[in-house]
Amino acid sequence: MKNTSILVSAFLILTSYSSFCAPKAGKAAAPSPIKMELKNFEALDFPYDKGETGLLKWDHTEELNDASFSVMISTISEKEGWIEADTFKAGEKTADKVNLPFWAFKKDKNKYAVPVELNNVLSSEIKQDVPFFAKVKIIKGKNSFESQTASAAARGNWFRADRLNNLLLFLFVSIVFFIIVSHAKKKSLFIRRIAGLDAIDEAIGRATEMGKPIFYVPGIGVMSQISTIASTFVLGEVAKKVAQYDSYIKVPHYDPIVMTVSKEIVKQAYTEAERPDSYKEDINVFISHDQFSYAANVDGMISREKPAACFYIGYFMAESLLLAEVGASIGAIQIAGTDVDHQLPFFFTACDYPLLGEELYAAGAYLSKEPMLVSALKVQDFGKLVFMISVALFSLLLIIGSKMNWQGLSSTLTEILKVY
Amino acid sequence: MSEGMLILGAWIAAALTLFLFSFLYKDNPFFKVAEHLFIGAGMGWYFQTIFYKIMIPKIWEPLNSGDPFKMFMVIIPAILGLSLMTQFIPKISWISRYGFTFLMGYSAGMAIPVGLATDFMNQILGTIEPFSAFFSLTPWQMFNALTIAIGTICVLFYFFFSVEHKGAGKKVSNIGIYFLMIYFGASFGNTVMARFSLLYGRFDTLVNYSSAKYFYASAWIVVGLTLYFLAEKIFMSAKREISQ
Repeated sequence: MKNTSILVSAFLILTSYSSFCAPKAGKAAAPSPIKMELKNFEALDFPYDKGETGLLKWDHTEELNDASFSVMISTISEKEGWIEADTFKAGEKTADKVNLPFWAFKKDKNKYAVPVELNNVLSSEIKQDVPFFAKVKIIKGKNSFESQTASAAARGNWFRADRLNNLLLFLFVSIVFFIIVSHAKKKSLFIRRIAGLDAIDEAIGRATEMGKPIFYVPGIGVMSQISTIASTFVLGEVAKKVAQYDSYIKVPHYDPIVMTVSKEIVKQAYTEAERPDSYKEDINVFISHDQFSYAANVDGMISREKPAACFYIGYFMAESLLLAEVGASIGAIQIAGTDVDHQLPFFFTACDYPLLGEELYAAGAYLSKEPMLVSALKVQDFGKLVFMISVALFSLLLIIGSKMNWQGLSSTLTEILKVY
Repeated sequence: MSEGMLILGAWIAAALTLFLFSFLYKDNPFFKVAEHLFIGAGMGWYFQTIFYKIMIPKIWEPLNSGDPFKMFMVIIPAILGLSLMTQFIPKISWISRYGFTFLMGYSAGMAIPVGLATDFMNQILGTIEPFSAFFSLTPWQMFNALTIAIGTICVLFYFFFSVEHKGAGKKVSNIGIYFLMIYFGASFGNTVMARFSLLYGRFDTLVNYSSAKYFYASAWIVVGLTLYFLAEKIFMSAKREISQ
């Protein structure tokens, strides 16, 4: 018994000594860092673009909290040519922040989605379908880890699903247009009185009585501008009336293409008025494609030929007042119309009848009563109605939503109306 | 640049500026000289810009590159562009219609989606956006947001052509006109200020050219123009008296 107790006490002493002498792992050795990895890391082509952007995606996990990321890109190989494309902190650049609407991209807060504009990163133009390699450096405290490498190729897309809202709106407007056209062909549609356009007859009549010419200045727009297109419609109607009254019109031009289109329009107007013999090739004259030399010459022509009526209808910039002031100084009756809002005040001050923006677009339809043009005007009105109702209704909804704390309403409305 | 050329340049610049300003008094031969020189110089500048910045790099160089893709991308637009030139030959001027049709279709195709996006959707979004956090706005911001929304609706109603503006519609339309006039007033003042700044620049140049360094260019030209107008007035009144 005594021997047994001696053996037990010896064992206990030895064990306690060995445990005292053994190195204490927790205090003496540094902890080895736990390797961090990106879950479901993948490189993709950024959807609905022209093929210059890649997209990197990975899951957000709890261990990534407080980390920051450095995105590396290479177009050479997996081993070399790495360039830092982006750096950001955890919580930033999640999939819900990608600039695409909800119908074109899954907005997931728990996923990172980092678009990488390859052209900007590589400072050179990349060709379509060139593969790129991507990896992410995860930095947490003093430790950093690299993710596995993923690769993809940026491809251009033929269809922009992110602009589907624009396409649907266009289709809707087109359908409304065709319905109105068929309606306009059956019976005439109402257009309210526009004072500036009613004065056209008065101006042409006055010029005819005085035996003086009429100047029609289409401005410095090119054929792709809506105001120039609207101006050519008005020119057609003015030229028709001039032909009927056997008066004389002069159209000085800034742009050669607008001049060629105008020539056809004036010739057609004279033919429609059954006065093709009165048409002269020098009705449309080209002046200059330089803004101020054009203005100087038109001013000179106005002051020398002293027209009884001047029309300034189309796209105008700084020359608006230069022209209108000279016309006013010779006492011509002046009708002006433009959609350049900051030039309208000058026409207001120097002209007898200004046509404001939309009134210019309405002018062609108002004067000709052509079903196609009237329908276009009605579609514009329909657009304005939709606009007014949308602003009133959405504003009200958002105010209520703001009070009731409806989170999704604002973002959904924004994405529906946003242009991508 | 040599000193002589600088002085010559100053005389030409001062003369052309003053010749154009002389139109403020009345049309005269000096204005006509400046006007026609302006047109000629403008057209010359425009031609060389088109030639060296468009024709050579965008048409001539791709056609001579030997790359079939580049040549193909240029040849169709170039033919369409050349078709416009047939306007000068009446017998084949119908060919130009292909070019014009393409031009009009292309322009409309470009303009419609952009118009829908910027003039319609973006405008609605811009108007309603402040209401998404309406109750966190300051009273002034609330007033601003409401003014913009109401102003937009009223101005749009003014441009609504499908109904006669009478009764309540007339009132809404009138409010729209007030909004427009406030905008036009602000825009007018802003533009006039910018124009005056340009005028001061021109006056500054004229004053600079009237110094001894430029042999009093501006002053001599003003004296010359004044003498011309005086002589012309005397001559014209004498001529009128003789004819009477």
